[in-house]
Amino acid sequence: MTGKNRVWATAAFAGVIAVASVTVSNAYHQQLLTIIGIHTLLALGLNMLMGYAGQISLGHAAFYGLGAYGTGILTTHYGWSPWAAFPVVLTAAGWLAYVIGRPTLKLSGYYLAMGTLGLGIIAHVIFREWDSMTGGASGMVGIPPLQVGGTVLSLGRSGMILVWVTVLTAFFLCSRLVDSRIGRALRALGDSQGAAAACGIDTGRLKAVIFSFSAVLAALAGFLYAHLVGFISPSSFDFLMSIRMVTMVVIGGMASIWGSLFGASVITMLPEWLHVFSDYEMTVYGLVLMVVMIFLPQGLTRGMLDAVERVRREG
Amino acid sequence: MLNIENVSKAFGGVQALYRVHFQVREGHIQAVIGPNGAGKTTLFNVITGVYAPDEGRIVLDGTEIHGRPMHELVARGIARTFQNVELFPSMTVLENVLVGRHVRTRCGLVGAMARWPWVGREERQSREAAMDLLRFVGLEEAAHKMSGDLPFGWQRLVEIARALASEPRLLLLDEPAAGLNAVETEALADLIQQIRSRGITVVLVEHDMNLTMDISDRIVVLDRGRKLAEGTPREIQSDEAVMEAYLGRKGQGKR
Repeated sequence: MTGKNRVWATAAFAGVIAVASVTVSNAYHQQLLTIIGIHTLLALGLNMLMGYAGQISLGHAAFYGLGAYGTGILTTHYGWSPWAAFPVVLTAAGWLAYVIGRPTLKLSGYYLAMGTLGLGIIAHVIFREWDSMTGGASGMVGIPPLQVGGTVLSLGRSGMILVWVTVLTAFFLCSRLVDSRIGRALRALGDSQGAAAACGIDTGRLKAVIFSFSAVLAALAGFLYAHLVGFISPSSFDFLMSIRMVTMVVIGGMASIWGSLFGASVITMLPEWLHVFSDYEMTVYGLVLMVVMIFLPQGLTRGMLDAVERVRREG
Repeated sequence: MLNIENVSKAFGGVQALYRVHFQVREGHIQAVIGPNGAGKTTLFNVITGVYAPDEGRIVLDGTEIHGRPMHELVARGIARTFQNVELFPSMTVLENVLVGRHVRTRCGLVGAMARWPWVGREERQSREAAMDLLRFVGLEEAAHKMSGDLPFGWQRLVEIARALASEPRLLLLDEPAAGLNAVETEALADLIQQIRSRGITVVLVEHDMNLTMDISDRIVVLDRGRKLAEGTPREIQSDEAVMEAYLGRKGQGKR
């Protein structure tokens, strides 16, 4: 995306968000949109790692949970202001990912998948078992909401606006990132590690840096989730969540910033639409995923763009 | 400028290189030739840090470089191309060459997102440098095409432009004539000589005798992991050991 396109796309996106923030007044829709926004942040961060740099992580819920539990513990047990916890939690997630990433990302393919899977499991066990801090399996309640000036930002219109302004900012920054020296290095790494190294790219370091970046975005999502919902429990940050994040990236489209928005929306709303199938809900869910992957293996965004292109050429 | 000092490398029981010793002089086109299995590729991989030598040293301008990772060598002024051409297919030709600028630019993660004024300047300079190089190899027109869509011969030129983008003092070419037709090989010979006249030392690991005999200043002949001969193309052509071991055997193979 060139600079001009980027500004236009961001402006259009901002317009949609502005309109939605005024017109959507149903509380359920507001909540759903808030969760979609949070999931979009998760998918966006993971897409930088998976879609662009070509590295898989099956344990990203760990960083999502770290953001949520980190701020939950600091604000409820230690009485910190959420705004003081914010930089601490994000920095911690970034550093942790970097330190873990240096050795783990030396692995590749299945081995990297296994390594990150282990990370996710360890984090989940800590969330579930460290009763005195995390509240164990029953979770943490009473996480204070965010406040700006005198305004309380809670699940509803204000929370929805906060989340989507954050998404918009993240989109803008990520699209700049992709179209830069670092973004090119990431794509080079995803294409051919040997050739990337031959171009002078320190692949080990770059992988850890982008792993860390995606962890910060996940922690940011966790931070927003904890303060908006006010309640967190380990089941929101388990292995299934990590898998759901990967699914969002793949369904939406790898190496596509807009694909992250799309994938997060579909994967978040699909269960809502599928309630009508009651007992068969998960079966149909699985079926939908299979069908998408069979017919649109490049993800929904790319797949549909290609389909439109085909129709236009033939029509 | 580059000294290969008594380098040995074995894989299991196979002695791929045995005490190979020679010097690459600044401003030269140095060829390394030899029949299949002579150890050319192993030597290339030892120089570029893919393998550490079992013994011996690789010295660049007085500094030992063997066993160092490739990305460090690029920063020190060594660039390479691959035998089978390794471009980045998800990127345009221009972007491929821009990746080559990596070590000569410094915008990081934060800089990329913040777009400070110096980042914009750096990006513009890189684009100019990359376009200059595409002009140099004659592919200016293809700058915005996807690199995977180009014919193989052009891809090889993009790869050379990408290697030059790191502003190397030493360029290592791994069988650059492989897969090229006679016309393309001739153009390549021209290009390599132009690269040398830019002050860049070239090491050419090559199978194609015509290319190496025409443009090399010095040639090292490897055979079964050992240095068989070294000298100017004329000396190599009249070297009896070479005729027997390399050209002779090759001739027999053809019959």
